[in-house]
Amino acid sequence: MTHSLHRFGERDSLRGDFVWLSYQTKGINDRDLTPIMQEIVAIAEKAGSVNWGDIKTGSILAVQPEEIKTRLKDSSRIRGVFTSRQQVVNFLEAMKEKDFGQSVVISGLLEEVLPACQEAGVIPHTVNFALGIWGRKELLPEEDILAVTSMCGHHMISPNLVRTLRERVRAGRISADKAARALGRLCPCGIFNQERARRLLEG
Amino acid sequence: MVRINPEKCRACGVCLDYCPLEAISLVPSGPAADVFSETTVVREPSGGSPGKEFREVTAGEQGGVVLFLTAGPLPDTSRQLRSRVAYIDPSLCVQCWVCLRQRVCSFGAIEATFPEDFYHLFQHVISDPVETTAETGVPGRGTEEAKTNDVSGRYRRGEVGVAIDMGRPGLGCRLRDVEKVAMAVAAAGLVLEGPEHTPLAKLMADLKTGRIQEASRDLRVLSVIIEGKCSEGKLPAVLTALRRVETEIETVFTLGLVSRVEADGTAPLLAILERLGFPRPLRGKVNVGLGRPPAAET
Repeated sequence: MTHSLHRFGERDSLRGDFVWLSYQTKGINDRDLTPIMQEIVAIAEKAGSVNWGDIKTGSILAVQPEEIKTRLKDSSRIRGVFTSRQQVVNFLEAMKEKDFGQSVVISGLLEEVLPACQEAGVIPHTVNFALGIWGRKELLPEEDILAVTSMCGHHMISPNLVRTLRERVRAGRISADKAARALGRLCPCGIFNQERARRLLEG
Repeated sequence: MVRINPEKCRACGVCLDYCPLEAISLVPSGPAADVFSETTVVREPSGGSPGKEFREVTAGEQGGVVLFLTAGPLPDTSRQLRSRVAYIDPSLCVQCWVCLRQRVCSFGAIEATFPEDFYHLFQHVISDPVETTAETGVPGRGTEEAKTNDVSGRYRRGEVGVAIDMGRPGLGCRLRDVEKVAMAVAAAGLVLEGPEHTPLAKLMADLKTGRIQEASRDLRVLSVIIEGKCSEGKLPAVLTALRRVETEIETVFTLGLVSRVEADGTAPLLAILERLGFPRPLRGKVNVGLGRPPAAET
């Protein structure tokens, strides 16, 4: 999956938008993980993760956090969103200290992620570099719509829904915060950044 | 597969906004009516516009019931009849089940049946990230790529992982376009990943050439990833092939390049990209090396 890699928008808009992921490796370190995952979620929450989830259950924008925690199991994949470099640093420091043995990935602007790694004392091992969009780009929705829809990397969010909600926000019929959360509920992974979406819908 | 039950549909149009690929429309007539046989005329209405003639068409032995209604005066004006019904175009729908899972329809009109064959099952599993691909054991589009490389050792120093997200962002793609791209990069030296790593391999008739099974070429999915790896030396040829084939497809793709990196995040790959005139990548997904046991270095 590369669903957290390809988020689009102006460089300024992409600042402060980080996705965290914790992964087990099939057949190697994928057993007896439930308590570990619950602990990782607690660390992420403490660090300030504004959204998180497990794709099989949903994100905290759609499901009560306690229910997601209860339903975590060895095959679960947990992911979430940070909105500041300091949150990333705090998360990585705690994960390094706990040494759970799970792979940890931070997706974001490299000019922000790499210094955060250095500050937290972790050493980047592998990077998946984003090389952008190729092909029939003229078929894509407008850039400001794509900036919102691409925050659900599996593209469960329709451009038309974003347009409709943005019109309602502009007409004062719904708050930008409520509209952003409504969109975020469609992303089952929990990697949708509703705070960035709120700013984009207000713009 | 997903369909809309016109018995329950109230033509409110809410579902239209939720479909990522605009596969749902409100139709007074049209494609559905063309393929279904008429069996009844006029039925008791519920909601919609009064004073319109209503004709229901059923799918005969298929058991599905669909639409259609034409405008015109109705003899019995006490009946309030629906003038339109929502319809999912099967040629556009990729079975992502956003409409179903999100309970978009307040009237429960969106229904699912079991996929009719392997290809439609693949279409659903690959388009709905909640599903898990059996071979890889990974939910979503089903690949771990760089995320567990600190443990799996899938990508070694001197190698480049290539992840081509066909149809992404948000346009979807036909597998015939996937085949064009896969064959182009395979011919340029990319070694395509097998079914243990990536779901697409199951539809490859020939993993060495990237040829897709003929019966699946018209299948449409929300996105699917062509994955492979090559030496750093072969990367320029692979990128050149992508530059050529991007003009020959009817959709888009996003490209991710996976590389082992130094402690500061630099990699020989970045110098190669610079030489080829690519701007330095702004975003990346950084595996921070906390996985245990660590993959053996070679």
